[in-house]
Amino acid sequence: MSIAAPEKTALKLGFVPLLDCAPLVIAREKGFFQNEGLNVVLSRESSWANIRDKVSFGLLDGAQMLSPMPLASTLGLGSQSTPMITSLALSMNGNAVTLSAELYRALSPQLRDRPNAAEVGNALKQWIASVRTKPVFATVFPYSCQHYQLRYWLTASGIDPDQDVTLIAVPPTKMVSTMRDHLIDGYCAGEPWNTLAESGAVGKVAVTGYQIWSDSIEKVFAVTQRWADSHPNTHTALIRALVAACEWLSHSCNHAEALDLLRLPPYLDQSVIPLCQTSETHPIMQSFYGSDVNLPSLSHAHLMLEQMERWGQWKGGDRTQIAQQVYRPDLYAEALAQAPSQQLA
Amino acid sequence: MKDSRSLDVLIVDDEPTRADALFEALNALGHKVVCHLSDSSGLCDQVSERSPDIVIIDMDSPNRDTLESMAAMSQSNPRPIVFFAEKANDRDSISAAINAGVSAYIADGLQTDRVKAIMDTAIAQFDAFHSLRTELEKAKIQLSERKVVEKAKGMLMKHQGCDEEQAYKTLRKLAMDRSQKLVEVAQSVIDILELTGLPKTGKR
Repeated sequence: MSIAAPEKTALKLGFVPLLDCAPLVIAREKGFFQNEGLNVVLSRESSWANIRDKVSFGLLDGAQMLSPMPLASTLGLGSQSTPMITSLALSMNGNAVTLSAELYRALSPQLRDRPNAAEVGNALKQWIASVRTKPVFATVFPYSCQHYQLRYWLTASGIDPDQDVTLIAVPPTKMVSTMRDHLIDGYCAGEPWNTLAESGAVGKVAVTGYQIWSDSIEKVFAVTQRWADSHPNTHTALIRALVAACEWLSHSCNHAEALDLLRLPPYLDQSVIPLCQTSETHPIMQSFYGSDVNLPSLSHAHLMLEQMERWGQWKGGDRTQIAQQVYRPDLYAEALAQAPSQQLA
Repeated sequence: MKDSRSLDVLIVDDEPTRADALFEALNALGHKVVCHLSDSSGLCDQVSERSPDIVIIDMDSPNRDTLESMAAMSQSNPRPIVFFAEKANDRDSISAAINAGVSAYIADGLQTDRVKAIMDTAIAQFDAFHSLRTELEKAKIQLSERKVVEKAKGMLMKHQGCDEEQAYKTLRKLAMDRSQKLVEVAQSVIDILELTGLPKTGKR
């Protein structure tokens, strides 16, 4: 089966400097985009709001997004409604709740080695009751797994996220310094910002996203519905290139090279340098490749819609219809069914 | 009851020159304006304490997500704020703002024509600043520093396959994220790219 030529070959894709922008970086640096005849420029964006707006208004062809974002954009939560779709999940897991070194020390008498999420949550609940202050927790973006995981874990531990703690927003690049300045007691963020707090002795990874929701889709590659309709061949070529990059990333022999490439400006820049030692007690279990990882599953879309409704972000509606409109495992399968691209020498 | 034409405006911008110019322009229109450097923390407190009618923010500021979160949690805030694109009906004016690098969060229920006048002023100021910026940079940084910045820009353009504008923006964003001077960031970009040997030279 031959592959139809892409409608557009010069593309601009957005990313946010987090470890899970790796598939985009690797697809560019290792020539997987090129193998599909695509010339891709990657644009580092300072906020998820920028990613949403630039994709919505066509300044970017597509972008790495938090997995709830294409749903929120389609529903018009936090912005004008722009129908978006995702046909590829870029990563699974990768978040963690980091507590300040002081707070973790205060909880530690009640914790055994390698505590599970419930044990840490229980210790936190007792600490809040005993000191009678509200700890301050930060997340990055309202429509994110980090935000939902933090709320889910607190609630499961008997802590009311709206009453017993103060929730604020802090940009990821400022998380560690804000914690160092004692302005926050904990946060839920993506990598590398948890291991960086740990390696700088500022905080301690207390619970991982994996412990809260095992194997949850974290980032997706998303485009607008309108863009996908007018660039079907380019879209499938992008999916194939990104899957090839995810596959490359899955080989442990490539990890050192991947970190070297991510260190390049403007990708993760210097922030990835101390990442050699990751948290041993709390494996974050970030993964990039596998049919269970890359398939944008409808059940995940359902879970995200449920969270939006549960936390009052969305008034509710036909979840099945919206999930099917935005998450497109059929396009993922279609892209991979086409003949593999010719490897350039 | 205050003057119906006067609005409380909060400007969040890391570029002092641009923030000053916008401050003057909006003041001249009779608005009550406060500037906030986006680097400092406490933006949440400032927004809840002052409860401005409109927050104008540089699109490159990471604090946009902070305001998005406040907007999402606005049921619990005394003054709900929304991203201005929810209010503006025509896509053209939103595109103009995004292209100029302006975004805004407005108090829910504000009349759109009053917001539009402020947005138009902000867009004009951002556009004017943009064309002035190259000149300003040239005047501000020493010749030796300028050479370092130019070299880093050239290497980034070659390595990233991007244009000069984007290479410059990349350096500025890195400087903002690291809280460093442009020339320091430029030097480290050169060091890293030379170390990895990806682009053999910075020359095109």
